[in-house]
Amino acid sequence: MQKILEVKNVFKNFGFKKVHNGVSFDLNLGETIGLLGPSGTGKSVLLRSIIGLEEIDDGEILYHHQRIDNLTEVELYKIRTRISYSFQNGALFDSDSVFENVAYPLFEHTKLNELEIEQKVMNVLRIINLEGAKDLMPSDLSGGMQKRVGLARAMILNPEILLYDEPTAGLDPSNVELVIDVMKKFKEQGISGILVTHDIPTALRICDRILILKDGVINFNGTTEEFENSNDSFVKTFLKYE
Amino acid sequence: MIKNKLKQDMRVIGDVTLFTKDTFYCMLSRPFYLGRFLEQIIHLGIESLSITIVIGIVTGLVMTLQFGYGLEKFGGTLYVPAIVSLSLMRELAPIFTSLLIAGRIGSGISAEIGAMKVSQQIDAIRALGTNPMRVLVVPRVLASILSLPLLATLSAFMGILGGLTIANIEFNMTPGFYVNKVLSTIKLSDVFGSMAKCAFFGLVISILACFRGFETKDGTKGVGSSAKWVVVRTSIIILISDFFLSKILILIFD
Ligand SMILES: Nc1ncnc2c1ncn2[C@@H]1O[C@H](COP(=O)(O)OP(=O)(O)OP(=O)(O)O)[C@@H](O)[C@H]1O
Ligand SMILES: [Mg+2]
Repeated sequence: MQKILEVKNVFKNFGFKKVHNGVSFDLNLGETIGLLGPSGTGKSVLLRSIIGLEEIDDGEILYHHQRIDNLTEVELYKIRTRISYSFQNGALFDSDSVFENVAYPLFEHTKLNELEIEQKVMNVLRIINLEGAKDLMPSDLSGGMQKRVGLARAMILNPEILLYDEPTAGLDPSNVELVIDVMKKFKEQGISGILVTHDIPTALRICDRILILKDGVINFNGTTEEFENSNDSFVKTFLKYE
Repeated sequence: MIKNKLKQDMRVIGDVTLFTKDTFYCMLSRPFYLGRFLEQIIHLGIESLSITIVIGIVTGLVMTLQFGYGLEKFGGTLYVPAIVSLSLMRELAPIFTSLLIAGRIGSGISAEIGAMKVSQQIDAIRALGTNPMRVLVVPRVLASILSLPLLATLSAFMGILGGLTIANIEFNMTPGFYVNKVLSTIKLSDVFGSMAKCAFFGLVISILACFRGFETKDGTKGVGSSAKWVVVRTSIIILISDFFLSKILILIFD
């Protein structure tokens, strides 16, 4: 299997606070992996490190077998159009409308004309069921809606890898289904993904493999079946606890 | 304690210098966001028009009144147009306008960017493969470098007009005499010198505001303290650097 992303022995602290203590795992082409772990163990920080929003202290991150952890910010801009991060809180531009938020990457990175951009944006808004919210400002949206707009903005450039940071948290059941459908559709298109979530049923439905991040390391790394049938006491408590 | 504080201040000076260098690099290379720049011109420049006009007129009125009565005792009323117009053009309009803009725009920019920082919008700009320097900083810095000199000149002009009114009403000076005196006093170098000073103040205000906005931490409270930091620092820098800039301008032009 072809590795598209390799995280090798990554260390990261914030001052005295140790977050990652040698995190290693691979992401294969077309695969979606679920990254679980207790709150505050550094799942978001890991996703942010992958696209270089956080600088790692030690270790390597490879994308298509090329190191990307030592690139400059300007070199990273290109990578970030291929590896897309959907923020845990949406992180929408609050002085731009929903439409402008989703259209932003298209205006920046494509040569499409206004009409083509409009069509593309409306198409994506339809997929996440927010067609009617086009002209609203982020402050007029609920948390769940903001999160879906953030997801739309992250997926509009058709990246190779999508990093989902708790995309289903705070959504009602029908919108959870919708987001799962979106993620499934991406997977069918061959897009790889890392899904950070506390929602185990969702992870089990989408993911090929499950990873658990705990105490700064990957504590469990196995297929979904291995995860469900694991005798590892931590995995078991984790399954029950979640 | 003092040593630490000094060290910290030195670090800020170093960081601001690097930040300024980055800004100029981004300013002089592509891509350039014309739309965002025009937006800032409207926001920083046009929306400050009314207040600069008011400040200009009022300063002109008061100065003319005070100098008029002050000099009347010595029979020096006819010097009023020269004194009022020269001090307005060279010092009062640039300084008052810049201090006002430091409060209005400096705090506004740093609060806006600070809020974007704490709500991860700056990270989002980066994560979407774009440069926050180009998207946020360059349009604001360019807009304030351009608007401030124009605003200050307008303010000086309004002040001179205000002076004309008072000179005419209170001291029976004909508008023709007043205008003649003004025109023979103010040289083009005064106008350009004042504009150059204001361009520098515009740079200081916007750079410090953007810089501090990017450094904002600690949520909403951080946003407020950033705004305060910017207004205090820029006001002090404007007042102190004005002395040296004036000295340089006098050396060059007089
Ligand atoms: N900029 C920062 N400065 C200092 N500490 C930070 C910073 N960002 C994150 N941390 C710390 O790193 C740890 C990991 O944070 P992170 O947001 O990655 O957790 P998480 O696993 O995503 O949790 P959750 O499931 O609640 O989202 C936390 O303890 C947090 O306090
Ligand atoms: Mg998180």
